[in-house]
Amino acid sequence: MDELDLTFVAQAVEKIGAGEEKVLEILQAIQGHLGYLPTEALERVCELTDITPASITGVSTFYSQFRHRPAGRHTIKICIGTACHVKGGEQIYDAFQRDLSIPEGDDTDPQKIFTIEKVACLGCCMLAPVLQIDDITYGHLTTEAVPMVLRDFLEQQKAQAQQADRQDYAKSDKELGQIRICLDSSCVASGSAKVYQALKKAVEETRAQAVVKSVGCSGMSFLAPLVEVVPADGVSFRYAGVLPADARAIVLRHFKPKQITRKIRNTVSTMLDKILTDKAWEPVTRYSIDVRDRPVAGFLEKQVHIATEHCGSIDPLDLDEYIRNDGFKALQKTVSMLSPEQVIADIERSGLRGRGGAGFPTHLKWSTVYDIKSRKKYVICNGDEGDPGAFMDRMLIESYPYRIIEGAAIAAYAVGADEGYFYIRAEYPLAIKRISQAINTCQQRGFLGNNIMAGTFSFQIKIVAGAGAFVCGEETALIASIEGRRGMPRLRPPYPAESGLWGRPTLINNVETYAVVPWIIRNGPQAFARLGTTSSKGTKVFALAGKIARGGLVEVPMGISIRQIIEDIGGGITEGLKLKAVQVGGPSGGCVPVELAHIPVDYETLNDIGAMMGSGGMVALDESDCMVDIARYFLDFTQNQSCGKCTFCRIGTRRMLDILERLCAGEGKKTDIQELEHLAQKIANTSLCGLGRTAPNPVLSTIKYFRDEYQAHLEGRCPAGRCKALITYSVTDDCIGCTLCSQHCPSDAIEMRPYEKHEIDPDKCIRCGTCKSVCQTDAIKVE
Amino acid sequence: MPRLTIDNRQVEVDNGATILDAAAKLGIEIPTMCFLKGCKLSTSCMICVVKVNGSDRLVPACGTIAQDGQTIESDSEEIRQVRKAALELLLSDHAGDCIGPCQAACPARMNIPLMIRQIAAGKFRDAIATVKKDIALPAVLGRICPKPCERVCRRALFDKPVSICLLKKYVADLDLQSANPYLPACKPGQDKRVAIVGAGPAGLAAAYYLLKDGYGCTIFDEHESPGGMLRYGVSQDKLPTDVLEAEIALIEKLGMEFQGQMRIGTTLSMEDLRRDFDTVFVAVGQLKPGDAESMGLETAPNGIAINGRTYETNLPGVFAGGGAVRKRRLAVRAVADGKEAAVAIGQYLSGQPVTGPANAFNTRIGKLKDGEIETFAAGASKTRRLTPSPEGSGFTDDQARDEAARCLHCDCRKAQSCKLRQYARHYGARPSRYKGERRSFVQHLQHPDVIYEPGKCINCGLCIQIASQARESLGLTFIGRGFDVRVAVPFDHSIAEGLKHAAKQCVEACPTGALAFKNKT
Repeated sequence: MDELDLTFVAQAVEKIGAGEEKVLEILQAIQGHLGYLPTEALERVCELTDITPASITGVSTFYSQFRHRPAGRHTIKICIGTACHVKGGEQIYDAFQRDLSIPEGDDTDPQKIFTIEKVACLGCCMLAPVLQIDDITYGHLTTEAVPMVLRDFLEQQKAQAQQADRQDYAKSDKELGQIRICLDSSCVASGSAKVYQALKKAVEETRAQAVVKSVGCSGMSFLAPLVEVVPADGVSFRYAGVLPADARAIVLRHFKPKQITRKIRNTVSTMLDKILTDKAWEPVTRYSIDVRDRPVAGFLEKQVHIATEHCGSIDPLDLDEYIRNDGFKALQKTVSMLSPEQVIADIERSGLRGRGGAGFPTHLKWSTVYDIKSRKKYVICNGDEGDPGAFMDRMLIESYPYRIIEGAAIAAYAVGADEGYFYIRAEYPLAIKRISQAINTCQQRGFLGNNIMAGTFSFQIKIVAGAGAFVCGEETALIASIEGRRGMPRLRPPYPAESGLWGRPTLINNVETYAVVPWIIRNGPQAFARLGTTSSKGTKVFALAGKIARGGLVEVPMGISIRQIIEDIGGGITEGLKLKAVQVGGPSGGCVPVELAHIPVDYETLNDIGAMMGSGGMVALDESDCMVDIARYFLDFTQNQSCGKCTFCRIGTRRMLDILERLCAGEGKKTDIQELEHLAQKIANTSLCGLGRTAPNPVLSTIKYFRDEYQAHLEGRCPAGRCKALITYSVTDDCIGCTLCSQHCPSDAIEMRPYEKHEIDPDKCIRCGTCKSVCQTDAIKVE
Repeated sequence: MPRLTIDNRQVEVDNGATILDAAAKLGIEIPTMCFLKGCKLSTSCMICVVKVNGSDRLVPACGTIAQDGQTIESDSEEIRQVRKAALELLLSDHAGDCIGPCQAACPARMNIPLMIRQIAAGKFRDAIATVKKDIALPAVLGRICPKPCERVCRRALFDKPVSICLLKKYVADLDLQSANPYLPACKPGQDKRVAIVGAGPAGLAAAYYLLKDGYGCTIFDEHESPGGMLRYGVSQDKLPTDVLEAEIALIEKLGMEFQGQMRIGTTLSMEDLRRDFDTVFVAVGQLKPGDAESMGLETAPNGIAINGRTYETNLPGVFAGGGAVRKRRLAVRAVADGKEAAVAIGQYLSGQPVTGPANAFNTRIGKLKDGEIETFAAGASKTRRLTPSPEGSGFTDDQARDEAARCLHCDCRKAQSCKLRQYARHYGARPSRYKGERRSFVQHLQHPDVIYEPGKCINCGLCIQIASQARESLGLTFIGRGFDVRVAVPFDHSIAEGLKHAAKQCVEACPTGALAFKNKT
C-alpha cells in the first residue's frame, strides 16, 4: 500500500482544535478526506491532541458513520428505516450487491467505485424505499431501477463537474410573481433541484415577471417536486410531480411574455394538462394531483401550523422574510419585556411537553435549570432524530432554522444560559448546512452573540454533528457525545438539568419543542393550551409514511384521532389494501391496530395502549405487512443501536431478536412467545435509559394485538406472506408467457418459455418479489 | 442524613451514600460485579438491582443515592429472578469452561487440570493431595480406570488426548514409593461411628473420607482381606496385589477397622449394625438374590433403591452405593460413590439437612468452532502424546513433566474467585437458558504474566478505568457497540503493550476469568 499522506491530519487538527471534545469533528474531517480512518491517521491525531488512543478507538468504533477500512469512491447509503423496510429496502440492498458484483461479506465492488451500506433512516420516509449516493438522494426505488440509478448518478457526476453550483436565494418582490419550490433533502430527492434550475432558466429566457424562490417544505412530500405559482394578483396554483421539461410550460402559462402569441400559450396549456397526468419516469414517481382537488385540501385542512408556521411560503434562509413574518418578535418581547420567571410561567401555562418522546413537562425542565445557581449553564437542541421512520426534525431544521434558533434563545434567556449546542445527526447534511448558515446570519444581524437586541442577554450557538448512533438521542448519551466520548447513557439522577454538559446545569429539548416556543410567546400560552386534550396541549408534528397515499410532514392538534391522520390527511392506504396497524413512535413505540385507530393522539392514551408518542414517526401498515417481521425489524434495530452497557439491553435484546428470527424462519418453539414476554418485562424494568426501557414495546404491542400472527408463525405460516422462509412464489394459469419475469429474475429461477406458462424454481428463488412486480397479468402467487 | 428502610430494617446514612452503602451498613450483602470502590460507576451488570418504594422499575443499588424515607427491597423473589436472568444472559454470551471437560467427565470430579499443572511444576506432593481430595485409591485406578476423562480431553482435537490416567498413576506410585506417603489431615475425632458393609472400592473410599472427617469406621466384608472386586475380580497383571494393599494400608493408617468373613444375613444382621453404629453404608457390590431383602432394603431395577443425590435408602440412617446400586460397575464410579456418600453421611451425622455434595457450577463451551482448537493449543507444548515403554510401565519424571505440558488448560484460571460463577450458583442460573450463537473463544497470551480471554468478559469496564488511572499510554478501550462491544487494546496492539504496569491490578479487579494470571497452580 502507498504511504498515506498524513499532512491533512495536522491541518485538520490545526483548524478544528486539539481538545478531547473535538474528536468527532476531527474524525469526520479525516474520513471526509480519506474515505475511512486509517490507524496511522488516528495515531497521528493522538500525537497532536489531548485525545488518547483508548478514547479515539472507543469513539471511532462506537459510531456507525466511521469506517476503518478503505471505501469505494462513492458511498451508497441504502435506507432501511421503517418505511423503507416495509417497502422492500433490504431487497434494494441485495439488488445493489448483485448488480455491483460485491462479494459476500464485503461492501465494496471489485473496482472500488461504490461502497454500499445500510443506514438506519435517511429521514425521507415518504419516498421509500430511498437511498443516498454521496449527496444525491433517490426515492421510490425498485430492484428494477438499480442499474438506472447507478447510470443516472454517474451522469450527474459528469454534469456537475462541468457546471458549478450557483447559490443565489431569490428575494421576494411584491412587484413580481413568485414561483415557489421546496429544496429540502427529500424534495431534492424527488428531483426538485433540477426543476428549480429549469424554472430559473425558463424565467430568464422568457423574461417572465417572476422570481423563482426556494421555500421551506409544505409537508406535501407526496407531491414533490411541488411547484407553487403565486402571480402578483395572489391566486396561487400548485403543480405536483413537475419535471424539468415542464418548467418552461409552467412559466409561460402564468407569466405572459411579450413576444409570445396567445395561440402558443393555449397550445402550451393543453400540453401541460397532458404532462400532468403522465407517469413516465421511474424511480421518481409522479403524481397528478392539483391543489384544487379535494384530496390535497384534505391534507391541509385538518392541520394547524405552529412549528411549521408559514409552511411552503417562506424561504428557509431569508432572515428578512422571517422577520416580516413575525420572526424574532417573540425573542424581542422576551428580552425586553419578560423576566425569566415570566417566560417559564408562560411555558407552564401553555402546557407544553417535550416533543422528543417522553412528554416531560417543559416548564419543569426549564425551572430546574433556572433554579440552580451556576455561573455557566448550557442549552442543547436535540436534533439527533434517529428513529427509523421519523423525519420531523430534519424538515423543521431545513425549513425553519430561524424559528428553532429563536426558540432556543428564548429558552437560554429563561434558564440563564449563554451558550448553546445544536446536536444534529450526520445523516442530515442539508439540515446542518442550513442551520449553520442561519446561525451565521443571526450572528451578523445581532440575533445571536453578545448583547442580543441591544439588551444584556448574550447567547452563542455551536453545532455538533452526530456520527450515527440512535442512542445519542438519549440526553445523557448526547452529552457524552458532545464531550467527545462514546455515546453511553448514564444512570440518572443526577439529571442534566442539575449536572449536564461538563458537569454544568444543562437544558436539553427537542427541535420541535423549541420550534413552538416563539409562537407561544407571541400568541400567548392560552392560545396554545386551547388546542389539544386535557393532558396534551398544542400541536404535534408527525412524519407520515408507509403504505399511505399521501406521506409527508403534518402538524395536527393533539387529540386528533390516528384514523383522521391516516385517512383524512394521509388519504388512506395505497394499492387497494386495508389498513392493518399504525406504527407510532418508532423503536420505542408500538403498533396500534386498526381497531384502535379511533384513539386520540395524546401522550397518555398512546402509552396506555402500549405505544408511545416517541418523536412522532407514524408508519401505516397494511395487510401485506407481517407483524412478527415488524417486531423483528425493530428489535434488530435496537439491539444494533444499544450502546452495549446494561446486560439486559445488550444481551437481552439480542436474545429476543434470536427468538423473533427463529419465528420468522418458521423454527419457533412453543415457549417462544412466553419467553419474549418474560425478557421484555425484565429489559423494560431494569434498563438505565429510554432506549432499553422502551425497546420491548414493538414486541409487546404486536404480541398484544396480533398474537394470532405469532401463533401462525409457530405453526410455520406467515399470514401476510412476508417472511421469506415461510413463503413460496409460483406462477398461476393467468400467465400468458410474456417472459418478463424470466428476463428480470435476478437469480435465474425462471426459465424463459415464450407463450407458455412459466415456472419458478423454488431452490433458486430468492423471494425478492421482482417477478411479481413486473408481471402484467398478476400471475405470480405468493403463499 | 437520610433515613431509609431496607428489607424492613431502618438505617441512617451520610448524604450522598448509595443504597449499596446503606445496605452494607446493615450487613445486608447486595451482589455486585461491575462495581469497585475507587472506580467510576459502570452500572452495567445489573446484578445489584433493588426495588425502591415498590416501583416496577428496578435500580442498581451501586449507583442510586439513598434518599430519606425510601423503602428498599433487596432480596424478594422478583429481584432474585431478575438477577438470575441477568446472570443467565451473561452466561449465554460466555465463551469459557469453569471446569475442564476432563474434570466434568470424571465420575469422581477430580481436579485433573490442577493435578497436571502441579506435575508440570514439579510439585508432586501438591499433586497427590489434589488427586486424593477426590480419589481415595489413585494407584489402583491408575491401572484399571476406563478413563472417561481422556475421551473428552480437548487435546484430542489437536492430536491425541493427554495421558491423564498415566499421570495420575505416576503421581500415586511416586507417593507410595516415598518414605512418607501422603495422608490427609484428619479432623478431630467425632463421637460417631459408621459401619461399612463391603470392602470394595466404594466402601474403602467412603471409609477414607469419613475417617478424614473424624468419624470412626468399621468395614465388614465376607472375604478374609479387604479389596472386594479389586482383589478378587481383577487380574494380577493389571492390578498387582501389593499396590492395592499399599493403598488400603494408608486407609488403615487413618484408623479404619477391618472385620473379615462377616456376611450380612448370616454372621451379621442389619438390626445389629443399626443398633451398634450411628449409620450404615451398604457397599456390598453386585447383589445376589435375596441380599437386599435380608437387609430390609428396597430395590430398584439396578439394585438397592437410593436417593440419587444423597445415597439414602428406605431405612433411616442407612446409605448405599457402589455396585450394589448400579448396573454398570465401574471402579471409578464406585470410588466416587464412596466419596459422595461420605458427604451425605457426614451431613446426617452432624444433624444438617442431608443434601449430598453440592454440585459445582459449570458453564461449558461445548462443541468448538473452526479454528478454536488452535487457540486452545497456542499456549501448550506441541510435543506428541508420550507412551512409556515397555507398555504397562509408568512415566519417568521427565516424561511426566513433558506429558503434563501438553494440557490445554481448558479450566478457568479464576474458577474459585469468579463472581459470575459464584452468583450463578447462588441464584441457580442455568447457563443454557438463553442459548444463542456463542461468541468465539479467543485468548491473548502476549503478556508475560496475564492472559486475556474476551469471551469471558462482562463489559464492566473496570480494567479500562484502571489502565487509564494508571496512565497507561495505550491502555484498554471498548470497541464497537451493542451486543458486539468488546474490550481491547487500541490499534490492535497486544495486551502486553496495553497493560505495561496496570496488569496486576486489572486482574484483581476483573470480576470474571477474562483477565487472569497465567500460571496459577
